[in-house]
Amino acid sequence: MSFVLTPKHLEQIEELKGRYPSAHALALPLLWMVQEQEGVITLDAIDCIAPYCDLPSMELYRIATFYTMFHLEPVGTYHIQLCKTLSCALCGKGEILERLQAKLGIKAGETTADGRFTISQVECLGSCGSAPVMQINEEYHENLTPQKIDEILEALE
Amino acid sequence: MRDARIVSRRFDIPQIHTIEVARNHGAYEKLHWAFALSSDEIITMIHESGLRGKGGGGAPAGDKWSLMPLNDSRPSYLVVNCDESEPGTFKDRQIIVKDPHLLIEGIILTCYAINAHHAYIYIRGEYAPFQQILQTAIDEAYRAGYLGASADGSDFALDITIHRGAGAYICGEKSALLESMEGKRGHPRLKPKQKECEWYFGNPTLVNNVETIASVPFIVYDGPMAYRAFGTAKSPGTLLFAISGHVERPGVYEAEFGVSMMEYINRFGGGIKGGKKLKAVIPGGASTAVLTAEEAAGATLDYETLQSMRSALGTGGMIVMDEDTDMVEALKNLLEFYRHESCGQCTPCREGTGWSDIIVHNILEGTASSTDIDRLLQLSRTMNGQTICVFAPAVSMVIDSFISKFRDEFEAKLRKDL
Amino acid sequence: MSQVTITVDAQDYRVEEGSLLIEVLIQNGIKIPYFCYHEALGADGNCRMCMVEIEGQKRPQIACDTIVKEGMGVRTKGENINGVRQRILELELINHPVDCPVCDQAGECKLQDFYMDYGLYDSHIDMRQKIHGKKHVDLGSNVMLDQERCVLCARCTRFTADVTKTHELGIIGRGDHARVSTMPGRKLENPYAMNVVDLCPVGALTSKDFRFHQRVWFLKSTPSVCHGCAMGCNIFIDHNKAKYKEDTIYRFRPRRNDAVNGHFICDAGRLSYKALQENRQKEFELGGDSCTEQEALEAVKTAILEAQNITILIDANLYNEEIERIIVFASGIGATVLCPSDCYYDESFGDTWLKKPWRAANIEYINRTEIEHRLPEGSVDLLISFNHPSSKTVDSRLKIIFATHQGHKADILLPISLFSESSGSLTNIHGMTQHCEKAVEGEAPDLIRLVDMIEGEL
Ligand SMILES: Cc1cc2nc3c(=O)[nH]c(=O)nc-3n(C[C@H](O)[C@H](O)[C@H](O)COP(=O)(O)O)c2cc1C
Ligand code: SF4
Ligand code: SF4
Ligand code: SF4
Ligand code: FES
Ligand code: FES
Repeated sequence: MSFVLTPKHLEQIEELKGRYPSAHALALPLLWMVQEQEGVITLDAIDCIAPYCDLPSMELYRIATFYTMFHLEPVGTYHIQLCKTLSCALCGKGEILERLQAKLGIKAGETTADGRFTISQVECLGSCGSAPVMQINEEYHENLTPQKIDEILEALE
Repeated sequence: MRDARIVSRRFDIPQIHTIEVARNHGAYEKLHWAFALSSDEIITMIHESGLRGKGGGGAPAGDKWSLMPLNDSRPSYLVVNCDESEPGTFKDRQIIVKDPHLLIEGIILTCYAINAHHAYIYIRGEYAPFQQILQTAIDEAYRAGYLGASADGSDFALDITIHRGAGAYICGEKSALLESMEGKRGHPRLKPKQKECEWYFGNPTLVNNVETIASVPFIVYDGPMAYRAFGTAKSPGTLLFAISGHVERPGVYEAEFGVSMMEYINRFGGGIKGGKKLKAVIPGGASTAVLTAEEAAGATLDYETLQSMRSALGTGGMIVMDEDTDMVEALKNLLEFYRHESCGQCTPCREGTGWSDIIVHNILEGTASSTDIDRLLQLSRTMNGQTICVFAPAVSMVIDSFISKFRDEFEAKLRKDL
Repeated sequence: MSQVTITVDAQDYRVEEGSLLIEVLIQNGIKIPYFCYHEALGADGNCRMCMVEIEGQKRPQIACDTIVKEGMGVRTKGENINGVRQRILELELINHPVDCPVCDQAGECKLQDFYMDYGLYDSHIDMRQKIHGKKHVDLGSNVMLDQERCVLCARCTRFTADVTKTHELGIIGRGDHARVSTMPGRKLENPYAMNVVDLCPVGALTSKDFRFHQRVWFLKSTPSVCHGCAMGCNIFIDHNKAKYKEDTIYRFRPRRNDAVNGHFICDAGRLSYKALQENRQKEFELGGDSCTEQEALEAVKTAILEAQNITILIDANLYNEEIERIIVFASGIGATVLCPSDCYYDESFGDTWLKKPWRAANIEYINRTEIEHRLPEGSVDLLISFNHPSSKTVDSRLKIIFATHQGHKADILLPISLFSESSGSLTNIHGMTQHCEKAVEGEAPDLIRLVDMIEGEL
């Protein structure tokens, strides 16, 4: 097994255990730790964390495939998650996607060859009042326009 | 429309998310006074206020609180629902970002009333940046002694833990949320046959929406009658209504229940974008039946009126669509959402959401047959009332409303390609 | 437990208070479609097929999540409820190929049954738009998965999660992308794995061992008991005699017995039917050369009459009746009967559920007789072995072996029938005596008949 939790995470796990009536509750927090550390959730890592939440690896794998934010396949350094749901669609998400695809030369669902950018289309980000919206990794970018996309991407170059 | 700000009262105060500023504006000030009240007294206040759950269902909060056993050998828990994933809904986020101490104070009062010593806030994974702000506020509250072994110098101990979701709309449904917090996939549970509280690892648990809990301090401190001074008899108080789509000033604006929908759209939303005409409004988050412009003109924002129009108030997140909106495209957009978000447990929902998405896709592509609209309605009937949770019935209601109100647009797509 | 009265389709039933409605319906033979409920796994409530109408309830309710109550009125039939089921069934079929004639499950598929029962209105399903799953996934342990036929009832996954607790199978993904799978690169691997094939209500899980060898409607089932170990799991022997061929066993299937094996059997027991039919001893042999039955019996008689001392070895897989018969026979000829049993004990085979380390079906019956478990001491003049595996380790002047299978060296060799070719009873490790019916017609003679004839000659 190549995956090991960092001492910081081990400390967090101890603290978290005291906060829940059962270790099972640590499933999601543990998967988050793995993804934070590795960027992706590997089977190796699942086997490593399983004992900490007292769940079989299969259950963790099932969980990882249920929640869309968990990645079982690696994504780019910058994971662009463009909202595709109704309010954003009404407010011009289409042209934002076009601009993103044109700028990065990839389609939604793809990653650039250098592994820097992935474009995903996601469901409502809870930001409909500032549509169209996307998240790059965890950061929100709101009230998007094609010009704004240019600026944002340039800042990341 | 009169000013009605209860939950958003302090939103505009700069730096109100910090504990110093919040305290300067009355946060935690009357806690010790509330601790002199009994559980029953607080629960009675909630009953009398008529407070209804603001997560979408509108269940009377007092009833739910009363289901919590006060002298149980098992620990009781409060779970605050901040999953906020219903399209068109972005109000809870305002509370945790702008006035997190209001929520924390609401949690303290609620836990005290139901005798819970640990509260969890289940927050959608995407809200990581806002979770950070909320966590900072919680840390401040611990340091200031409002949380921890003795809340505000009383003998009441309370911990708050934020639990982060990971991208699943269905985890907003309370039993799926609890499953998720138990380290499982977010599959809604089979409903109990009688009224009872929720259960977290077999312990009695109350689940309430963020805004519901954030309304508690006002009710306890100002009294249930002050709350009832707003709203209607059946929908007392206020709601952080939200508005998005084709309006000039989308956003979250608190208003009392019972105000006119159009007045709200025009006054807060600044009217339809670009001066266009209104075509339709989805009144309370995507999962409520769409209203035509004519219906919207007669609608008021309260549970009873929208229900009588065979729609629902839901989360109060209005999605406004102008005259140029393609309603078939709009339905397709929502069906993709539902197809993506169905937990997949029950057959009618798992297969029904996928299949209806395919049918509307075919209608848009011009490959559908003339009977497909009726097939869609038939499918929607199968999704209604035969599933574990109300996700599928909501989809059914959405499909029915789009087709019954905009059938000509669906038929036009079919004709075009005949 | 107190009883309550409920009414189902206008007929009254006295049933145990607190029982599940679906159980009551099944036990009383009232037809109700269901996929996800299983008596051994309980309710999961996911298929929504078991809908019934309950008086006083607005909407149909699922019977697998309804506890019976005094005075409850239930309707399982009628236009309304049939319509509901039909529509759900149609959805079930959306992503399911309806090519029953080529499906291995045909004939024992619930989907096919219900499909026939309820019929389907014109469904206009465009196959190209169906979600296509993988058709031939080798899960391991001889189990093949066809994802397109799966109705996601979660029976198989609940089996590995709740019964074997080995957790190899799970439903992964969400919505209409949900599917049954193992973890990538891992296998279904436990001693009871093949039970998932029986549990699967449709043709999604099939046994590589059985796949397409026989159409199920050609098979005859005979109740029997597994001889793989001392547990005595109840089985059905599924067999068929095709024209000009021998009556052949195609599979063992678990037969429900809550007092022994519940609904399940182990894979070793399930697959034991194969070795059973291979390398049969068919001929009578004298000094290695085949002979007639008459010649062999003559030789046995002479050997017995001339013997200085006689030791009989008796296999702990023989039926009670056979053992008793041999005991009587032995006392008539003054023989010592032994059952050396070390060879039956395999620690590694045992577990805490069904599998017992004693790999002999009737070891407990032997325990209850005077027969000692040891090898013979001193020099044996004549050894008569009734199919005992340790025959060759015993030195004797002369050896007579009654054998089901080849591989024995003896002066006189007599073929005998298999347990599946005769009837009799067995006493399992917990002292339960169970009957096995004769399933197939064999060519080898019945052991008791041979003993009768030998005794008659003496
Ligand atoms: C599909 C579905 C999604 C839901 N999502 C949310 C949500 O994101 N936030 C929320 O507070 N309630 C949500 N609910 C409602 C909850 O189940 C629950 O009723 C609510 O959290 C209770 O709090 P309240 O009574 O204060 O509204 C959802 C319900 C369903 C059926
Ligand atoms: S109705 Fe849909 S979301 Fe709800 S439990 Fe069933 S499959 Fe899951
Ligand atoms: S493979 Fe069979 S038993 Fe398993 S979930 Fe699918 S239909 Fe059910
Ligand atoms: S446990 Fe023993 S008796 Fe049961 S099936 Fe397996 S081998 Fe046969
Ligand atoms: S629809 Fe895009 S954030 Fe809600
Ligand atoms: S058997 Fe009742 S829902 Fe499946």
